This record gives sequence, C-alpha cells and structure tokens, in this order.
Amino acid sequence: MQRQRHPALQGGGSIKPGGIYWMRYIIPALLVYTLFMAYPMIDSVRLSLYEGTTGTRDFVGLANYVRLFTDQVVSTRFWNAFKNNWIFFGWHMILQNALGILFAAILTNRTMKGRQVYQTMIFIPCTIAVLVTGYLFKLMMNPVWAGDTLRRAGLGFLVRSWLGDRSTALNCVSLVSVWQWVGIPTMMFVAAFQGIPDELIEAADIEGANAWQTFTRIRVPMIVPVIGMVAIMTFVSNFNAFDVVFSMETLDGAPDYATDLIGTLFYRYGIAGQHPVGIPEPGLGSAISTCIFGMLLIGVLPTLRATQGKE
Amino acid sequence: MKKLMAILLAALILALPMTAMAEQVTLTMGSWRTDDADQVSALLAKYEEISGVKIEFTPTTSTQYNATLRLQLDNGTGPDLFYSRSYATGEELYNAGFNIVCNDIPGVMENFSDSARDPWTAEDGNVFAVPFAAVSQVIYYNKTIFAEAGITELPTTWDEFIGVCQTLKDAGYTPLANGIASNWDILECVLLGMIPNYIPFEERAAYETGEKKLNDETWVQIYTDFAKLVPYLPEGFESVDNDNANIMLGLGRAAMLIDGSWSCGTLNNKEEYPDLDLGFFAFPAPEGNAAGICLHPDMGIAGNAATAHPDEVKAFLEWLASAEGAQITADYLPGGFLPMISTGVTFQDDTIAALNDLNEGKNADARFIWANMMDLYTPMVEQLNAICRGETTPEEAADAINALWEEALAA
Repeated sequence: MQRQRHPALQGGGSIKPGGIYWMRYIIPALLVYTLFMAYPMIDSVRLSLYEGTTGTRDFVGLANYVRLFTDQVVSTRFWNAFKNNWIFFGWHMILQNALGILFAAILTNRTMKGRQVYQTMIFIPCTIAVLVTGYLFKLMMNPVWAGDTLRRAGLGFLVRSWLGDRSTALNCVSLVSVWQWVGIPTMMFVAAFQGIPDELIEAADIEGANAWQTFTRIRVPMIVPVIGMVAIMTFVSNFNAFDVVFSMETLDGAPDYATDLIGTLFYRYGIAGQHPVGIPEPGLGSAISTCIFGMLLIGVLPTLRATQGKE
Repeated sequence: MKKLMAILLAALILALPMTAMAEQVTLTMGSWRTDDADQVSALLAKYEEISGVKIEFTPTTSTQYNATLRLQLDNGTGPDLFYSRSYATGEELYNAGFNIVCNDIPGVMENFSDSARDPWTAEDGNVFAVPFAAVSQVIYYNKTIFAEAGITELPTTWDEFIGVCQTLKDAGYTPLANGIASNWDILECVLLGMIPNYIPFEERAAYETGEKKLNDETWVQIYTDFAKLVPYLPEGFESVDNDNANIMLGLGRAAMLIDGSWSCGTLNNKEEYPDLDLGFFAFPAPEGNAAGICLHPDMGIAGNAATAHPDEVKAFLEWLASAEGAQITADYLPGGFLPMISTGVTFQDDTIAALNDLNEGKNADARFIWANMMDLYTPMVEQLNAICRGETTPEEAADAINALWEEALAA
C-alpha cells in the first residue's frame, strides 16, 4: 500500500486505497467483453432452447438437448466426435507438451549453442496458416501425389492412404497439428525456465544434484503454474479445433466420421447444414456449443485451482 | 471536424436530387454460384441493354446461401430475384410466402415440360420459380490416352465400359480418377449418374412410395455394376477427393473421370490443362436396358414476393421463359449448365453443344433421391464407401438402404 501519494492525486476525494475508484478503469474493457463475449455466449445458450431457422423460431425447451443425447443418428455422431476430440487432445497434451518441455529444457541449457536458430525453426510452423500446412500434408500423405517420389526414395512402405483409412486418419491429423503448434508450449516453457533464478540451479549443482535431479526437483516444480496454463490452453484450443480437420479431411470428418470433432459437428449442424440440403439447425448447433462450453468449464476450473492457487 | 461535417452535408444535399432524377430501376439477384459471377454479370448487362433494367448479381458462397437468403428474406432485405434450389429446399421458401407465384408468367407453362417444371412446383400445384439450368452426369476421358491404349470405339454397354477400364489398366494407366474422400461425388456423380440407365423416370415413384423395394433385382444389379468399378479406381482412392480427381484427369494421370457437366468448362480450359484432349460420353446402359441420362434440375430463378419493383421482376422472369431470353441466356451461361427450356436453343461452343446432344433420345431424370428420398443421401454415401473399401457386398448395401427407407415410410 502506498502511503505517499503523488501530489497531483492529493485532494481527489474518491481516490482512496481500498475504495472502488478502480471500477471506472475497467468499464471500457468490461463493456467490450460484455458486448462481444459474454452476451453472444449467453445468447447462444438461449438459442439452444429454440427450434427453426431465423425469424420463425419456436421455444422448445430442452428438446434440442434431448435430441442431441437420444436421437440415434445425432447422439452417435456427438459421442463419436466427443471420443475423437479426446484422442485429438491426448496427442497434443502428451506428445506436444512433452516435446515442448523437452525442447525448452534443451534450449535453455547453458551449454547450448545456436539457440536462436533452433528456436526459430521450432516456431516457424506456428506462423503458417493451418489451411496451408493442412493442404501440404494432405498432398504428402496422398499416394496419388507422393507415391512415386516415396518409392523412388526407397520408402515404398510409406505409400498408404493415410488420410483415407479410418485407423490412421485421426492420428495423422492430430500429429500434423502437434507438429504445427509445438512451438507455442516450447516458447512458454523457455520463458518459464529462464525465469528460474540461476542461484537455485547453482546451489543444486554445488549440492551434487545431477541434471535429471535438477530437472525433476527444481526446474519442473518451479514452472508448475506455466504447465497448468499450457494444459488449459491445449484443452481449450483442442476442444474448439475445426480448421485442421476442415483443411485435411472434409466437414463430414471423412473417412466415415473418423476425424469428426465437436467443432466440425457443430459447424455441420449449426452453421452450414448437412450437405446437400444445407438447412442449418441453429438450435441444435447452440446445444452442441453449450455442451462444449460446459465441458471446457469442467476441465478448466479444477486445473486452474490445482496449478494457479499458490501465490 | 465541423468543417468536414459541413462538406459532407453539402455533398449529400447535392447528391440527393441527382439520385432522384435518375429513375433507373436497379434490381438485385441472389445466387449460390460465386464461380459464375463474370458470366452472369455479362448476361445481366445484356439484359440491361435490352430492357433498361439494371440487375446486380450478388452471390453468396454455396454452403452459406440457404441460411443467408433465409435471413435476408425474413428481415425484408432479400434480393428482388434469387436462385431457387430445386425440390424441398426451394419449396420451403415458397411455403413461407417469399416467392412470386409464376403460373401466370407467360412462357412458364408453355415453354417448359412438366418434368422441367416439377422441381419448382409446390405441393399445391403452384410454380415458385422459373426453371433455369440443369446439369448432367457424364464420363470424361483423355483422347490421347485412349488412342495410346488402342481404344478406338467408345463403349456402348456397361460391360464394354468395364472392358475399356481393363484394357487401360493392362496398358499401365489408371483407368478412373474417382475417389471417395469428398463424400459426395461417389454418390452424386457415379451412382446417381448410373440410375436412369436402370430405372426410368416413370418408375421412380414406385420406389418412393414403397411399392417397389430398394433391394429388388434392379437395385442389386446397380450396386453390383457399381462394384465392378472399384478395381479401376486410383491407388489410394480413399484419399482422392473431387478436386484431386479433376486434376488427375487434367494432368493425364488418369484416363477417365466420372463427373458432372459443370466440370467441363475447367477441364476444357487450355490455360489450365494445355495437354488434355478432352472427350466425354454418356453412362453406357447395361445390355438390354434403354439408355437414360441423369439430367438434374439445378437452378431456378424466383421473384421475391416482397420486392418494391414487382413489374420489373416479372418482366425479367417472363424474358427468361421466352425463346429469345433462353437463347441469350444459353450464350452466356457458364459451360456445362444446360438450359431447361423446350423451345430449342443453339450453342456457340461446340463442346457444350456436344454435351447437350448427349441428352438426345435418352430417358432423362433428376438425381434419383433428390425429389423425395433425401434422407437416404448420407446412408447411401456410407454404403458406397463401404463397397469401395470391400467392407460390404452389393446385396448387403441394398438391404441396408431398403431397411432405412422402409423405416422412414413407416414413421
């Protein structure tokens, strides 16, 4: 608490420590947030209680939710997308974040040479549009376009319809996404590792701790809040994922819904409508998005508590 | 700031009488054909020369068109004229009261056949849009490859067609470019393109009502004949989508492509594919069956019932339904979209004329499931994918589809 006030502030009646004078400073942000974030979100919850397209909406209560969970086709698609989303998320959570920590640990090693070069290389894919990387990988994984080249290189066993095969499609799409975004957790972990005071590491060295012990006992525990943040970011962005599937497969999550995520499911039902009729059902779409919102909340809150509450 | 406001205000005051003076009527036209903006704008410019009425073409992306149009119509900001989807999707707007009834527009009843008007005729018998263009399903081929493989005659029966595929395969070519990754063309172009060779238009209703079964001999034969194509699909057809397939034919990496007439313009574009000598033929019917063709009514043009200029809108629709209007339209329509009028039009482009000639003397029908069986669309795509992957047999596929339709009829 500041005892000596700036001369210009003296005499300003409402400016008291502990008062609510700060309220006015958050008004602009609050307005923007309410108007563009909170209101649409709440309105979409309201929309999920209605049926019909624009203009002719009828209130139907929870019918959209009932349909989402009991209609044979819709519920099959929903749970399939739900399952796929967990697999998609699992690849990112385990592989992407593990690679992120590994790369960051290597990059922040004091004996590391050419750090900037590697750091840039790891980060570059993040700056390319998903539609571009998705399309390039789609060509590379297609026997029609890549088959001859691979065979000439003696890699004939790689000539497979990776994205057309139910058993490999989702894993391939996930791995492309992991490859593209691994730079983000890497950067965050690099920043976190750099924030650890050198004295701690030096003290550990003097005490005779080996590199592994320093890593597991000092460096990782020191960055738990960042790990928590990265976990939340991974969770949120993967349960909202849409673009990578859109660019590499179809909006149907081809083949046979093997790559259908909640994002593509939502787009099909809520925004575009099912091909070829193309009449969207905003109510059902909103019900799906409300469920995603609920899931994200359930996933995020405990993680936040577990990792961020130790200040 | 005040000065700027004053200038703006002055400009506004000056501009007002000018807009009021020019009493030219400007109509807007909504569409899902963003690809055709140039051609349609040219057509509308031609119409402006003739009638003095300016029509602005304001297309929306195909996948968002239905929702956008609905939103505009609901809010009273809909275009004066709009492209109307055939069958149920278009009728939905008519039922909501957005379409001008076209029955009394001269030409609509006289110049179109019943089957051409049918996709835009509501249950109450009213015509809710003027039929504009249809697309056909055809088999494209690379003339150079056919010559190299020693194929001199085009196949006239399905078995001959399969024989041609085998000859091409033996000669080391990929016979067909089609794949299943897009989840639409294997059904819309391939299977639904085959059906008019097996089931003429008149018999469709019997299947729709359940009088005939979707797993009868005819249907098992359709799926069996479809399955004969599978060995001739490209390696890795599971990940070949419709764009890939078009490019493969264009670059000579496959000898044939089963697709729609709408691709003709791109495939025939020498800037795009300089080395492709393009040919095409209609789906050969199995021996003993009368030749049919899938000629699908795709676009109608409707008038907005709430337009501020009903006379001009009706005049345009009348022009579209007239012999002169249809001819001018045919001159400007993008390649592969065929006029539906029965007054007889001539084509300047030889390729398009040849494409149109394929329809001569054949039983034409729309895509089999479009009128009343749209619920079968996704299940059929799934069954065809399974046949291609070798996960199901033609009989099982027919039984599965039939069971779904019986269930739908019972509900």
